[in-house]
Amino acid sequence: MANFKAFAGGVAALVLIAAAGAGIWAWRTADTWRNAVADDAVALADIGAADPEAVARGEYIMRAADCAACHTREQGDFAGGYEIATPFGTLVSSNITPDRETGIGAMTERDFFDAVRHGQGQKGFLYPAMPYTAYARISDQDMHDLWAYMSTVAPVRNSVDENGGMAFPYSIRLAMLGWNMLFFDGSGFEPAPGNAQLARGQYMVDGPGHCSACHSPRNALGAEIGSAYLQGAVVDGWLAPEITSNRHQGLGDVSAADVAEYLGTATDGKAMASGPMAEAVEHSLQYLTEDDRLAMAAWLKSVPGSDVARPEQVDPASPEMHGAALQYEVSCSACHGTRGEGMGDLVPAFDGNHALLSENPASLVRVMLEGARAGHSGAKPTGAGMPSFAWKYDDAQIAGLLTYIRNAWSNAGMPVDPAQVADMRGALAARDKAASGF
Amino acid sequence: MNRREALFSLGALTAAGTVASRGAAAEMSGYPADMALDRGFLPRAVIPGGQMQVLTDDRQRATVTAVFDRLIPADDLGPSASEAGCIEFLDAQLAGRYGAGAALYREGPKMAGEDALSQSPQFIATPSERYEAGLNALEAWAQKTDGASFADLQPDRKDEILKGMEDGSVELSSEVNTKAFFELLLANVREGYFSDPIYGGNRDMAGWRLIGFPGARYDYRLYADRTGEKLDLEPVSLIPRD
Repeated sequence: MANFKAFAGGVAALVLIAAAGAGIWAWRTADTWRNAVADDAVALADIGAADPEAVARGEYIMRAADCAACHTREQGDFAGGYEIATPFGTLVSSNITPDRETGIGAMTERDFFDAVRHGQGQKGFLYPAMPYTAYARISDQDMHDLWAYMSTVAPVRNSVDENGGMAFPYSIRLAMLGWNMLFFDGSGFEPAPGNAQLARGQYMVDGPGHCSACHSPRNALGAEIGSAYLQGAVVDGWLAPEITSNRHQGLGDVSAADVAEYLGTATDGKAMASGPMAEAVEHSLQYLTEDDRLAMAAWLKSVPGSDVARPEQVDPASPEMHGAALQYEVSCSACHGTRGEGMGDLVPAFDGNHALLSENPASLVRVMLEGARAGHSGAKPTGAGMPSFAWKYDDAQIAGLLTYIRNAWSNAGMPVDPAQVADMRGALAARDKAASGF
Repeated sequence: MNRREALFSLGALTAAGTVASRGAAAEMSGYPADMALDRGFLPRAVIPGGQMQVLTDDRQRATVTAVFDRLIPADDLGPSASEAGCIEFLDAQLAGRYGAGAALYREGPKMAGEDALSQSPQFIATPSERYEAGLNALEAWAQKTDGASFADLQPDRKDEILKGMEDGSVELSSEVNTKAFFELLLANVREGYFSDPIYGGNRDMAGWRLIGFPGARYDYRLYADRTGEKLDLEPVSLIPRD
């Protein structure tokens, strides 16, 4: 018995030490000392006239951070209500208008800093679907300006139950403290020393731009995997491709000027934004200055890439590819060109388009099955449409066509598996191929 | 404003528009995001191996098969009409809006001499009803004159009867405009032999291969400058089988 007591006592001591350690750890994680620079006296709804220059700068940060993408839906500008499906349940974006009861009107600037940069809101911890993990890098000055801008937003009364659709235990906001302890770094932006343009680009990419929210893969608990920073991930059935210096499926072989043009207009005349990236260009990136876009491009092109390399080319003239080549000519070539040259700013080119060559062809499969609308911008307002081919081709035919365009001309890409097409056809509830006669 | 001024001002407008749109970010609202085709726009294919819907009577089906296979017989150049699926094609057409005469004006009254006045025969009956009456009349006529089913007659005799129907020397019955019925048969067998295979006929694109028609293509830039050359383009169905 004495032995047991000693053993039990030892365990208890260990547990105590661990708990104390965890307490310090938790305290550090939740510590928002950086935000002491913010005013903690005046509520948002009580701010009178804000400095117009600060408001204008704040609007720029709002655009760069793309707040409206999630916080604006039918209920009004910034009034929340956007449902975000996560593997852990459905989240609803909050009302961030200055309405005192249902929005953030009662928050002080300090509360706002704590929410945006540290994920600690007025109802408790925020869920990391809100990219506070990236916004933590936003500078004090930009936060002050953003706050000034928010004071000019019209209040909208719209009550939102943000986490009512989350599954237990994720419905408990405090659980996010544990998540933050594991994955959140609340420190400010520290640029790599040297080049000022690269530093600005890194700040825009990692801070307000929160590019890694989609373009970095996440682990089983939904945290970004730092070692695969910007190396591509699947989000909602779209591939957010690798946007590093990787020369095969990244930006290594694309000029910084072309990357900047893509960000600002939705296309560089070769690759074209569609799906969620089209929205990012439309609502956010086209509003940035050319200098910022060039800085972002320069940073992205400096990021170490994955080791995915150009594979052996599947001979596009081989007998297996014969049917696909014929169908390319019949269904694709009128717009995408008989030599995969595209139509400038209207229709993406295929030859030499690295966006086509990602190891995972999810976006290509999705676009074939559902069709897509090209992103638009003030400079290139067309937003041409790609029709769905689900009714015309079966899984093997779509896989064959995609394998063809990934390997025709100067391209070389991994063959597409018909099983992936079948899976996505089911997941997207896309139409089955129509009967094809005798 | 004269023509020159008008053109100049148009140029100025275009230039102004270009400059403005180059500079400013802008978002368009109301873009249709859903690019999946509406079901109503999809071609409705005949399902291979389906049951007959209109030509369910064995005798009628044998009669029309016999007629079609004399109009387009099997030979060195290709399969017969029925081998190429023209009966399936016809059945599907008769079961649908074509068979119901959906595009025809069929309200009465039909006046005497109206066919001559319109310079083509007019019908209250739907194409489906005309097939029913016409095939029954042809079979009855063959039984009466030859003592056998039309389908069982020798090819030469079938041709003789069909030629008589075409030139008006054979009248199947007072109820059937025989010449017009022949023209209906001829038009439909051609349609079946040369329409896209998804509609049941032109099986394996035999009709298209016969005449060198390249099928459902719309872009010939690859071939535009290859004049005077036999291209032998592979035909393509609207919904390719493989």
